[in-house]
Amino acid sequence: MAFVIVRNALVIAGVHVACFALPVGAGAQTVTFTDHIRPIMERSCWNCHGEAAQLSNLDLRTRESAMEGGTRGPAIVPGQAEDSRFYRAVAGLDDPLMPMGGNPLTETEIASVRAWINDGAHWDAAGVTTAADALSALESSELPPGARDYWAFRLPEQGPVPTSETYEHPVDRFLDSARRDAGISEAPRADRLTLLRRAYLDLTGLPPTLAQTDEFLADTERGAWERLIDRLLDSPQYGVRWGRHWLDVARYADSTGFEMDYRRANAWRYRDYVINAFNQDKPYNQFLREQIAGDELDHTTDETRIATGFLRAGPRVNYREKDTPDRRYDYLDDVLATLGRGVLGMTVHCARCHDHKFDPILQKDYYSLQASIFGYVEIDWPLLDRVELAEYRAANAKVDSLQQPLEEKVAAIEGPYRERLQLEMIRERFPENVLRAVMKPEEERTAGDRLLVTQVLSVNPPRDALRAALTSDDRDMVEALNAQIAALEAERPPEPAMAEIVTDGDYRFAPDGPGDNVIGCPECRILPEEPGTFLHEEGWPAYETPPNYLLISGDPQSPGSQMSPGFLTVATNGDPPTVIPRPDGRTSGRRLALAEWITSRDNPLTARVIVNRIWHHHLGRGIVRTLDNLGTMGDAPTHPELLDWLAVEFMDRGWSIKEMHRLLMTSEAYRMTASYDDDASSAVDPENQLLWRYRPQRLEAEVLRDSIMASSEALDLTLSGPPVFPFIPERILASQKNGVWDNQPDGPAVWRRSAYVYRRRALSYPFFETFDLPDQNQTAGARNVSSVATQALTLLNNESVLRQAELFAERLAALAPGDLARQVDLAYRIALTRSPRPEEAQVARALVTDQSLEALTHILFNLNEFRYMR
Amino acid sequence: MSKHDHNHHCRTRTFWSRRDFLFQSGGGIAGIALADLLNRQGLLAAAQSDTCEAPIPGNPFAPQPSHFEPRAKAVISLFMAGGVSHVDSFDYKPALQDYAGQPLAESVVVRQGHPGPLMPSPFEFQRHGESGMYVSEIFPHMAKKVDEVAFIKSLYGRSNDHVQATYEMQTGQIRMGFPSVGSWVTYGLGSESSSLPAYVVMADPRGTPKGGPPIWSAGFMPAMYQGTLFRSAGDPIVDLQPPVGMTEVQQRGRLDALASLNQMDIAQNPGNSELAALISSYELAYRMQGCAPEAIDISAESEATKKLYGLDDPLTEPFGRQCLMARRLVERGVRFVQLFSGGQGADWDAHSNLDENHRVRAAEMDLPVAGLLTDLKSRGMLDSTLVTWHGEFGRMPISQRGVGRDHNPGAMTGWMAGAGVQGGQEIGASDDFGYKAVEQRISPHDLHATMLHLLGMDHTQLTYRYNGRDMRLTDVHGTLIPQIVA
Repeated sequence: MAFVIVRNALVIAGVHVACFALPVGAGAQTVTFTDHIRPIMERSCWNCHGEAAQLSNLDLRTRESAMEGGTRGPAIVPGQAEDSRFYRAVAGLDDPLMPMGGNPLTETEIASVRAWINDGAHWDAAGVTTAADALSALESSELPPGARDYWAFRLPEQGPVPTSETYEHPVDRFLDSARRDAGISEAPRADRLTLLRRAYLDLTGLPPTLAQTDEFLADTERGAWERLIDRLLDSPQYGVRWGRHWLDVARYADSTGFEMDYRRANAWRYRDYVINAFNQDKPYNQFLREQIAGDELDHTTDETRIATGFLRAGPRVNYREKDTPDRRYDYLDDVLATLGRGVLGMTVHCARCHDHKFDPILQKDYYSLQASIFGYVEIDWPLLDRVELAEYRAANAKVDSLQQPLEEKVAAIEGPYRERLQLEMIRERFPENVLRAVMKPEEERTAGDRLLVTQVLSVNPPRDALRAALTSDDRDMVEALNAQIAALEAERPPEPAMAEIVTDGDYRFAPDGPGDNVIGCPECRILPEEPGTFLHEEGWPAYETPPNYLLISGDPQSPGSQMSPGFLTVATNGDPPTVIPRPDGRTSGRRLALAEWITSRDNPLTARVIVNRIWHHHLGRGIVRTLDNLGTMGDAPTHPELLDWLAVEFMDRGWSIKEMHRLLMTSEAYRMTASYDDDASSAVDPENQLLWRYRPQRLEAEVLRDSIMASSEALDLTLSGPPVFPFIPERILASQKNGVWDNQPDGPAVWRRSAYVYRRRALSYPFFETFDLPDQNQTAGARNVSSVATQALTLLNNESVLRQAELFAERLAALAPGDLARQVDLAYRIALTRSPRPEEAQVARALVTDQSLEALTHILFNLNEFRYMR
Repeated sequence: MSKHDHNHHCRTRTFWSRRDFLFQSGGGIAGIALADLLNRQGLLAAAQSDTCEAPIPGNPFAPQPSHFEPRAKAVISLFMAGGVSHVDSFDYKPALQDYAGQPLAESVVVRQGHPGPLMPSPFEFQRHGESGMYVSEIFPHMAKKVDEVAFIKSLYGRSNDHVQATYEMQTGQIRMGFPSVGSWVTYGLGSESSSLPAYVVMADPRGTPKGGPPIWSAGFMPAMYQGTLFRSAGDPIVDLQPPVGMTEVQQRGRLDALASLNQMDIAQNPGNSELAALISSYELAYRMQGCAPEAIDISAESEATKKLYGLDDPLTEPFGRQCLMARRLVERGVRFVQLFSGGQGADWDAHSNLDENHRVRAAEMDLPVAGLLTDLKSRGMLDSTLVTWHGEFGRMPISQRGVGRDHNPGAMTGWMAGAGVQGGQEIGASDDFGYKAVEQRISPHDLHATMLHLLGMDHTQLTYRYNGRDMRLTDVHGTLIPQIVA
């Protein structure tokens, strides 16, 4: 190992109490794991409680797993053989006698086990557990025979498109063939207004305006539908809608989560990047390359670097990270889980601790992938060109260098005062035992005293007290120095625009972050043997990725062999490079190689996963229903040949997502009505798997909010920029101390599209949460759809909903003053893109007469019809 | 359990009657066909009821069958946020006195750096009850309940950060994004109430615990299974009541119009079965407006009951009120009620002055919790209600800053009462200093498995399909605590 991990003793240490004598040893000879215990384990235990099987959920390969034990409880209690099931079972003290069905242990062996446990059950001299056989089995593990035959691992191919008497469109010909096989007949085409509304909600997340409706109705020429789709794809609101789908995949949020829930002040630049990418129809393979390796491309730009925000969009603690180095493995896992489920449709993260239980994903694949991203560090990147950046850094450094001697002078003056105040504070704040220990000369202190002395290290007098303590001369000098420091500070260049990006570096040399320098735990830190730097600079020798290891059972303290970068074995065809060296040597080229593998036509997964997602959003359910799992535990595709045909078509059409919209939306399948029932079809296919009618979709939280504001015409369609903070009642905010919510009154400033609302991990915007916002901490598949009372309460009683109802009513009154019939008609045409049927108009008019126009607009927001795309 | 004595308090509100329904839908062919459709989905039956309790067909929280005969129908979880010290509450360690001032071990690393020496508890311990359990002097009322309580003295967790440790106690995982135990219970069993949320959370009035709403989130499950935060004063739920200015008659009128229009819509969309559920959600919402305030309105409780929960003392009043509300909610069929003692800024996180901190915290909740147990028992509800008590971790046997204790996930004490659990027993043990759980170590997974068992569910069978995997609250772990399930 190239570096030493000082283990957090809290987590692993057995009870080793210096003042508490434990019985040690079975005699003169010390029992060791390697010499005495491992041979017993290998012969008698690991067959059933090791790599091959963990009967009773018991795994005896590591100290940790033995201490954790199985269904019968912990197997080993270090220091206490009599209380350890492992000992009791092999010694015949408890039933059943172990090893079950094998030769019992000899008396000597039983005594060794006893002595070894009583001595603390140390696994190895190095403190690192490697059951050598288990490890080598893991490291040489191979794919099960036939693994590559599973449909998702075969490269997609376009088979012949089925013939159809009814349809020309290839998508319909595939669907028609499956329906004919099942004897099912399909719904007719929906009417033009239904289709118009469907297309608008689907592509832009907004209902059509009156003018947009008129425009479409006026176009009665052939090709009007295609022209509508083109118009919508040209609208920047398209990117706001479809970018949001991707932000679900990217588990995007504007805060870090966990206790501190810090604001990620520049995260929104990645959100804007995504929305722009959809609007530009950035080819999907390029989109992925930029997000995975935007800092490593042949031509990197600020845009491609911002794209790497994808990798770091997940939850992070960002507090006392240096004292908790193991968290890095969770962050790496977050990235791999996102790439796995989000991009590859594979639960790669399931192989973190063992070979995947259901899919042919090896644990070593996981750690090869981990090696591909292991150089990863998260940094703030100034959005300056090279010259500007150099100037900025130089100006900053100059201020620093001028301030430093002044600060030293201040410290020298304040030093004696500080010490005196510290002592006073200690007297005030600490109990007698601590004071006594502090006062004792060092050589007289007991071991306990020495610990007590450390308790006062973090006492720091407040600035005011320090200032008050200074003599007037010293105070004058300090103030003069501070004035000079402040004057210099004014010369510091303004902080440039920053982006939150990822690039290669050495995490072991990361600068201290929040919490690291306050109450540090230096013992917890990783101490590299070699000196190094966090970031690699231009012109240095080529960057080298820090080593990573296969971790036995996923435990950072149980490293196996060092890993080389690599990919999913089962989904790798040919011999793609795992490193693409960069001419500037600034990064490793590993992530670039990973991105190239993912976006290669030889990758069987990537194109299938994205076309399935696109299909899901257009047609209500994926061809594979589990969008993020194409593995054996996911759902089988309802139309496998169609999925493959689409995947190839997608790649052939330049990985263009807009082309896929055009392709799918021009099918008859997309244009079927949802208002259709047929007893025979219902009986054969009650879940509509074969798509014999359109599947209505509940509006997502964002679309619902935006549609409400679009109806009232209050919605501000401005694109991009820092997030907004719609009003949240103070009583909700007040209960949450940490985290940012720059609360704004309900008004035009926050009536922006929902994609621009601040996403706070520890406190979701209540409206979104109520309407099934997915968890923002994991890559999301299909959103949940629920129908609960809190949704009804929100739409009935929430003041901002009622405010929009009021604005909508004002709008109607202005459009048709004094004309109730016309107001009702307009209300329907604006909110639901159709005129009311006579019986509906009757109810609506009665409500307005009884109450108000606002009562009607309020109820429209609550209608089932309003809440669906159908 | 007396479930019917409060009906007359609850405002009578129903969404439809069958007659209104047919009338509003205009009679005729369409109306009759629609009535028939809804009747097939059981919706019309709901219209007959005029209480807070009649089931609403289509209610997503309708009671679900358990795997086997349950011991308990409901859970009241008492969470001591910040980390209550086991060695100063129920896990008596005389060795701390004997070795006071000496180092614990050379390798101790504590969360906030700089381990101090061993520190005895500032509190006296005495044996109590027939079982002779040791209890610290700061819990004089709980001390009288020890024969009804099973103490688990060997709990341990994996994180010494508050939030991650709290996630683990709640979800079994130290990461964000997993459903909490209340969500799992609600998912598994539904609710006995058709007018209240199934999973109710009440935070300390001083603030939510560190970590906030993700602590009671439904993770990857639908949001309907997340805990609903109830406030103990005013409207318990945000947006429960119409804003000022809207009368009940107006609201009624709007809802009637909504119902008529939605019925016309259903007639146009015969294939969409979700529409009925959406209509149901309005019925539930409407009822909740009347029933939720009634459920937490303690004015009808007797003076003796109020005193039992300490409502006559400003120190015990806040937690006492929540404990009393918890009883009322469970009485009305709520499945899972979770109370937090300690919010941001005033919790059990005694880094700097354990004596003062724990004395006050304990005094705030000791009497109310004992009162809750007494009240549940006297109403015959204790046998069907599981009460749990724990924090997110224990505290170190060594001192911090001379008078405090740092976090210790290596050992903590929790307890269970009710649900037929044998009281007066202690399960597992920590070492002589309370540094590590050593005997019969019990993880949060084990605790969760045992809770589910008492509710009639097999933790290996309660699964939610997510991402192609049958997820479990206990992941691939969880061992029943034999002394609890015996």
